Amino acid sequence: MDSMTTMESSSFSFWAATLIFLSAYGLIISERIHKTIVAVFGAGAVLVLGILDQHEAFHMEELGIDWNVIFLLISMMLIINILRPTGIFEYIAIKSAKFARAEPFRILVVFSIITAVLSAFLDNVTTVLLITPVTLLIADALNVDPVPYLISCALASNIGGTATLIGDPPNIMIASKARLDFLAFIYHLTPVVIIIMACYIAAIKLIWGRRLVTTQELQQKILKMNEKAAIKDSILLKKAMSVLVLVLIGFTLHSTLHLEPATIALFGAGLLLLLSKTQDPHHLLAEVEWPTIFFFIGLFVMVGAVVKVGLISWLSSQMLRLTQGNLFATSMLVLWFSAVASAIVDNIPYVATMNPLIIDMAQQIWPHETGLQLLQHAELMPIWWSLALGACLGGNATAIGASANVIVVGFAEKAGRPISFLRFMAYGVPITILSVAISALYIWIRYYLIRF
Amino acid sequence: MRAKDIMIPVQDFLTPENTLKEAVILLKTARRGEAGVGVKGLPVLDADSRIIGMLSMRDILKAVFPFYMTMMDLGDFTWDGMLEDIAKRSSQRKVGEIMSKEVITVPADAPLMECIDRMLKHNIKRLPVITEEGRLTGMIYERDVFFVITKAMLN
Repeated sequence: MDSMTTMESSSFSFWAATLIFLSAYGLIISERIHKTIVAVFGAGAVLVLGILDQHEAFHMEELGIDWNVIFLLISMMLIINILRPTGIFEYIAIKSAKFARAEPFRILVVFSIITAVLSAFLDNVTTVLLITPVTLLIADALNVDPVPYLISCALASNIGGTATLIGDPPNIMIASKARLDFLAFIYHLTPVVIIIMACYIAAIKLIWGRRLVTTQELQQKILKMNEKAAIKDSILLKKAMSVLVLVLIGFTLHSTLHLEPATIALFGAGLLLLLSKTQDPHHLLAEVEWPTIFFFIGLFVMVGAVVKVGLISWLSSQMLRLTQGNLFATSMLVLWFSAVASAIVDNIPYVATMNPLIIDMAQQIWPHETGLQLLQHAELMPIWWSLALGACLGGNATAIGASANVIVVGFAEKAGRPISFLRFMAYGVPITILSVAISALYIWIRYYLIRF
Repeated sequence: MRAKDIMIPVQDFLTPENTLKEAVILLKTARRGEAGVGVKGLPVLDADSRIIGMLSMRDILKAVFPFYMTMMDLGDFTWDGMLEDIAKRSSQRKVGEIMSKEVITVPADAPLMECIDRMLKHNIKRLPVITEEGRLTGMIYERDVFFVITKAMLN
């Protein structure tokens, strides 16, 4: 092939990939076509046009589908789906409400903390789906407005999910690309999330502290409930909890064991399926959120295409020009830009695009480093943490910023107390600014001032 | 026999703007031909007498019963008087948001067999009859179809 044809075909590839990528993004944002359909079709288009070949899409780490992410997601979904029918989550919710002495504001605080903690280990949407039914029941029992509980549930789940590798898809994706381990997230992100949660509780005390009141008589309804009745299958529960503990220990030790998080989770899922004596896994497997999984698959392929044709490289050069190689400025830019982007668009496509962009930027700054030296360069680390914090926390700002928010707004409408877009923002934006500002301060102090 | 031969003219109906409380009162006091007082379902009409929904006992049950109960296994966490409390709070909701919007109808000169077919296929006990212009003109009840059958059997 002469050089002219190569240039033409690569120019065609560049524009085709860019066009597919941008149209896909646009369609996903506009929500006119379901995002999974957009992603799957986009991936197909990219492959059929030869921009990426199938081998690159299926088998290459840098350009293709990140199977680590895919199998970690699937495995955790399976484990949770087995755990759900045991009734443990209903038990936790009712017990917490009683622990809070059935006082409405205390319940709000306790439920927010529980949501945040659960969300650090399960995905945010699942956590919200597990906590809201009982929340609504309790709100009905106490005759209080369920809206503060619903909004707080969404906000707390997004904050809590930022704390660990498995808490939020952006973290899972960053961990996979940057080869960061579970403990790295605990060591670097959990501290700031704890600080943010503490400030969050103070904030909700200011907002809702005085507005949630009920009568003693109504409180008795809750205090009389027997949370033990929630446990439907205590044998399965014991097995599932043991496997979950095993999986968590596995996550903590995974880099020492030289095993990827997906391996740990997959092993746990297989073990639990075996122990649960499931006769036919059809039903359990059907409950895996395949639209989400295929969305990831399609997205990875489309992003791989724009990485290959050089769009990402170009974008990262622009970013370098903007910050002139000042890494502190870069991390602040990434933090705040990610927060704003995450408030408007789904953080998953955003992070999927940012990951190769940051890697490319690192390659431009340190052209002689490769592998882990490059990915986990001491000066690059704060940028990864900025991306994680911005992308996860930014979603709280608007009703569409995170899936958990969308779910909660849907429930509010079903419960007859709709939350308007602006009303959600009235709570979400201040909380987001607060949490991102705390993150900015944390990053500055920890990585640039004191440096540890 | 045609639909218009066994249908009962509609005397009472709801609008989407009615509250649930008003609907309940009407359900209690509506007349069904000469057969008595109280019906289990009413048609919901728009300003042009076109049928846009049906409100039945079942629809009300579904609306009052909290949706979150079915999301998880919360049967053990109810309290005495829960249904009454929730029912009271639901009284101001609008018929328009609770009614079934998928209405199966028959034209006035539809043969009886077609009416029965529709009732069986969609498992409904009352079938609205509409004119050519789409206006509601009567209702066919399961009882009245049954009456035709018994009359034929016993003759």
